[in-house]
Amino acid sequence: MYPMTTLFPTLGLAPLWNPSGAFSHPVTRYTCIFALAALIIAPILIHFARKRGLLSPQTQDTIHTRHRTWLFLAPALLIPILISPALTIIAFAIFSLICYREFARATGLFRWRGLSALVALAIILMNFAALDNWYGFFAALPPLCVVTFAGLSVLLDEPRGYLQRVGLATFAFLLIGVGLAHLSFLANSVQYRPYFCIILLCTQGSDFLTFLFGRLFGARHIFRHTSPDKTIGGFIGSFIFIAPLAAFLMHITIRGTQMDDPVNLTTLAVFGTLIAICAQLGDLVIGSIKRDIGIKDMAGTLPGHGGFLDRFNSVLLVAPVVFHFLKYFDAI
Amino acid sequence: MTDSPPPSTPDPAPPDNSRRWSFEPAADHGLGPVEHLRSVKREAGLISVLTRALANFALAAWMKLYHRMSATGLEHLPRGTPFIMIANHSSHIDVLCLALALPHRLRTTTYPIAAGDVFFTTATTSALTALFVNALPLWRKKITTHALDELRERIGKGDCSYILFPEGALTHDGNLGTWKAGLGRLIAGSDVPVLPCYLQGAYESLAWNRVIPRPRKITIHIGPLLTFKDTPNTREGWQQVAEATRQAVLNLKP
Repeated sequence: MYPMTTLFPTLGLAPLWNPSGAFSHPVTRYTCIFALAALIIAPILIHFARKRGLLSPQTQDTIHTRHRTWLFLAPALLIPILISPALTIIAFAIFSLICYREFARATGLFRWRGLSALVALAIILMNFAALDNWYGFFAALPPLCVVTFAGLSVLLDEPRGYLQRVGLATFAFLLIGVGLAHLSFLANSVQYRPYFCIILLCTQGSDFLTFLFGRLFGARHIFRHTSPDKTIGGFIGSFIFIAPLAAFLMHITIRGTQMDDPVNLTTLAVFGTLIAICAQLGDLVIGSIKRDIGIKDMAGTLPGHGGFLDRFNSVLLVAPVVFHFLKYFDAI
Repeated sequence: MTDSPPPSTPDPAPPDNSRRWSFEPAADHGLGPVEHLRSVKREAGLISVLTRALANFALAAWMKLYHRMSATGLEHLPRGTPFIMIANHSSHIDVLCLALALPHRLRTTTYPIAAGDVFFTTATTSALTALFVNALPLWRKKITTHALDELRERIGKGDCSYILFPEGALTHDGNLGTWKAGLGRLIAGSDVPVLPCYLQGAYESLAWNRVIPRPRKITIHIGPLLTFKDTPNTREGWQQVAEATRQAVLNLKP
């Protein structure tokens, strides 16, 4: 653990360049190998599927575009994690700001530039608290920022729409800014690399398996109004794989550490269940926002995927859950 | 018997002009990063406002010190959107001079119309033009009715203004060239006013074939607003707009 600092002049910022032992943990090692293998094998599988006439030209184009985007996205996520905690925090701070930008432009909140700038500043401060490993500031920021949004918004003397815009700013800050800042704070843990790998692997795996099982066993639809593609088969199939996977990976990560003793099989089962459910719920939360506004994607930033919020919707709710699970057992 | 004073009535509350909330995504929502920069529907966000504020700060200092920029007829500047600011086009710094003549509150909602085939060819030039000048592209070699209709529709909503050079290209001799019909197609038969301006000294500062600007004095002469509400939105109407606005700009020439 990096030393805790509590005062501004004595910044204990995490080192910017510290790639030693990047692949020392098996979970990190195998996640990177798995990601690399998936990126190499995917076009080969698409090629064979096309030869056998299993894919329509349109589906094939979509998969190709998505694959091309992942070729940039996977290194952009994994390289900062492998290099150092500070770079990870900076990368996820930028990631949070991009996600907020997508939210603000989709809802129209961006037209209130002052309020929008306050939310962006609050997100930067949350990540600064993470960079400095300053938990007191990190915990104090959410209520203080909400007070600031509500207080400074009255200065415009425009009461009409006050509730909606302050409500939207607060919701965006808590869901995107605070939610993802928990990932940033997680980088202060000694074992942050495997934790990040668990989160990314389980959330992206959950999305993929929900889609796959939905196609294979997707007879009955649920949440028809929120997300028309979701089926019971997809949800159950994804849950059956992701919950044990998350529990198993966490078991490997904490084996031999101070958490090994208090965390038993029941705790791990609860952890796995929470991850699998929150990943699905995150997807539905963004789905609800999109349906409410009446748009298909949150943005067009990532070709083939929509926006960052469409691709990483499942991370939003998982990040605080993993963080507080580890925090409860004193791992951070 | 004395007259009792009339009961005092409280001052009426000022009209509530605040905006009612609606989920209205950005007009360019769903476009990819580069398409977003090249879209005529682009709405400026925080990044664009910040980069432009920085660029304008530096440019204003340069224009004041190096070109001793001044303006006449500032009383003709409109109080709000929409309007189309037009001028003679004699150098690449014209658009910067015109934008700087506007007050800050109008500058944030004013979009210069720039040649797509010059300023929006690559992702880098598109990003620089969009972020620092806030320009919208018009592709000169393939100007379609659709492209002009999109621009007309956007300004018709009333929440933005354009800076436009009706000559369509830089002058090669410093004189006013012929006016293209595009301006008429944007405003004929609508309420959108035209703000005619004449840029004096810009050609001497940075003619079309020069790279480094010379320290010549630049003056912007701003004329009164013109409207063409009763002009028909036809070929003849566009011609009338072109002639009237060209004459208005010529009249400003000292």
